[in-house]
Amino acid sequence: MALLEYAIIGGILYGIFFSLVGVGLNLIFGVLRMINLAHGQFIVLGGFGAWIVYQYLKLNPAFGIVLSIIGAIIIGYPLYWAVVPRLQKSADPEMLSFILFFGLAQMIDAAMILGFGVSQRSVPTETLGAGNIGLLGQTFPDSWWVAAAVAVLAILGLYLFLTRTRLGFATRAVTANRAEALASGIEVDRISLLSFVIGLALAGVAGVFIPFLLGSVSPSLGDGLTTTSFAIIIIGSLGRPIGTVVGGLVFGLGTMLMETYLPSWSDLVPYALLVIIVLVRPSGLLGRAVRQT
Amino acid sequence: MRSLIRGRMAWVLAAVAAILVASLGTGRAASPPSEINIGTLYASTGPFAVSSESEYRGLQFWAEGVNKEGGVFVKAFDKKIPVKITAFDDQSSTSTATTLYNQLITQNKVDILVADFGSVLTSVAVPLAAEHHMLLIDPTGSGANFFTQKTDYLAEVSLPASSVWPVPLALFLLDHKIQRVAVIFGSNDFDASQAETLKALLEKGKVSPVYFHAVPTTESNYQVLLHTLAASHPDAVIEFGYAGNDISFLRALASSGLHFDMVFTVFPGQLFDLLIKNVGVKTLSYTLTYPTAPLVTYEKVTNGLNTADFVAAFKKATGRDANFLDVAGYNAGVIIEKMLGTATEFSQLAFHSALMEMSGNTTTLVGDFKINENGAQVGELLPVAQLQPEGRGLKIVVVYPSDKATGKLVNPAPRR
Repeated sequence: MALLEYAIIGGILYGIFFSLVGVGLNLIFGVLRMINLAHGQFIVLGGFGAWIVYQYLKLNPAFGIVLSIIGAIIIGYPLYWAVVPRLQKSADPEMLSFILFFGLAQMIDAAMILGFGVSQRSVPTETLGAGNIGLLGQTFPDSWWVAAAVAVLAILGLYLFLTRTRLGFATRAVTANRAEALASGIEVDRISLLSFVIGLALAGVAGVFIPFLLGSVSPSLGDGLTTTSFAIIIIGSLGRPIGTVVGGLVFGLGTMLMETYLPSWSDLVPYALLVIIVLVRPSGLLGRAVRQT
Repeated sequence: MRSLIRGRMAWVLAAVAAILVASLGTGRAASPPSEINIGTLYASTGPFAVSSESEYRGLQFWAEGVNKEGGVFVKAFDKKIPVKITAFDDQSSTSTATTLYNQLITQNKVDILVADFGSVLTSVAVPLAAEHHMLLIDPTGSGANFFTQKTDYLAEVSLPASSVWPVPLALFLLDHKIQRVAVIFGSNDFDASQAETLKALLEKGKVSPVYFHAVPTTESNYQVLLHTLAASHPDAVIEFGYAGNDISFLRALASSGLHFDMVFTVFPGQLFDLLIKNVGVKTLSYTLTYPTAPLVTYEKVTNGLNTADFVAAFKKATGRDANFLDVAGYNAGVIIEKMLGTATEFSQLAFHSALMEMSGNTTTLVGDFKINENGAQVGELLPVAQLQPEGRGLKIVVVYPSDKATGKLVNPAPRR
């Protein structure tokens, strides 16, 4: 019973964190109708940001969050203007974005290898707290709780932005129907740009905690994180950022339960869930027919 | 007249055919190649990049060294011939590696084929080499599945077969009367074969592991796994994984608040600096590992540089501190060098015969070279060592077997 409790609490914490890992990808897809296949690479860049902050600036790696946001703005604006408007004008932006961002992912991988080498980089766990915090008698490292707390705050912030601000309303309008939003006078390009940058920033912020939850950060992690994120947002609801939370929780709980009782099969979890969801409920657990245009 | 001409033509044709057959049979011996083309793969990205690049660097270091001396001595041609390395990047992908190994054999027509690092990337080369009747020089692919039948086309050169690795470890655990052993391992040839050997040997000694589970090779989160494992109350926890697994496992252990009296992982003994950087001295203190060269040194060698000389020369040439995989790559070169200097013909079968001839009477910087008829390395046995604090760092103390011990085991490990 204790093992089950541990797996459930661990799964919830892990799942909340993975909601943050996937939410940026979902936001960008929802608004731009583009699949950012370089999403995992932006997460890894966030991880290296935390490592740089700790290693060279001698600051707490949590300051990597600030660096990730600044980095998302610096990279996101020019990248958006360089590629997105051209893609939007093409006959099949979804498919072209797939190819373009795949190429971008390979470029970022290569640049990270040039900059950081192929070795794993870590940040001491104690920098986010040296102890363990318990819940219902089950203890987890401080870093897990911090990662989950930051994920909750970031997703809550995104939720409030989408439901309480004018820009958020406009973002939802673009997500619901881009053509109608344009016809009703919404500055679709501006909203798209903002969503793109927020999506990258959320990826970077998630990356800050990768060295803590996955042991280390290295350039090779990117593709795996993209695939997992993709599975999570399909499980939750493709195109609905808040649905990612449900996808993340299902992924986290599934993974931890499998690790407890059938560890050798645990990496099948996201893909098995993805296949089941696509077959049974193609719009995701929280989904509507979001891909209608 | 006609029959005379026909008869002469027949003689001429027969003579031409005889010359052609003779030249085909001995052509290579008659005209030595301008260079010995060694084909290999390396991974610049992906989970095996760190290890693979090190191993490749070691092989390059060897090639540069012999080329400075005018090349390797090839007995079949009775002369020195320069070495050329043809290498492609498989990006840690087995499917890419399959294509590239094929290319090395069929397009580049390399003279000698050397596998990439580790069992995963070697696994696709083993059947390809056999199919094309090429001898595969396998520096570190030690998965036991490769060595199940007699072959002339496989030779493991820088590490014992992974099924042999845990033999001293199992004897050590039995010797210390450790009754409750937990084993967690990656689901790949390299780790699984170690785990299965350990389990079999322990069971022979009437010890059944209290926890014995595989995890995905890409596993990076051990928090819940450690908690599940701790519920079996083990006296010793053995984790068989690649470097990334070991880092994640040890960091999760450090942050979990759990304590085990004895912890064993594989890669601190191979990539010591990488593990120190990522895991830290405190977490690695009192853990056990298989120490490999250059952490253990071999002074007397029959071929190549000894461990200490290699470390110094490698540092001078590359500016890097050598790790085991640099050593393994270099050692592969040393074995190839002796093989070419021994083989009486320049053919794959002659190369294999030369290796069998060298087996048992060759010592290099990783120990005694000894292969069996299945191509498995059965020399170069790995002792068991404990990482003990010394000043602000760690020292490697060999604790088993007793005739190689350099210090005493600290057991149970002090709580962090």
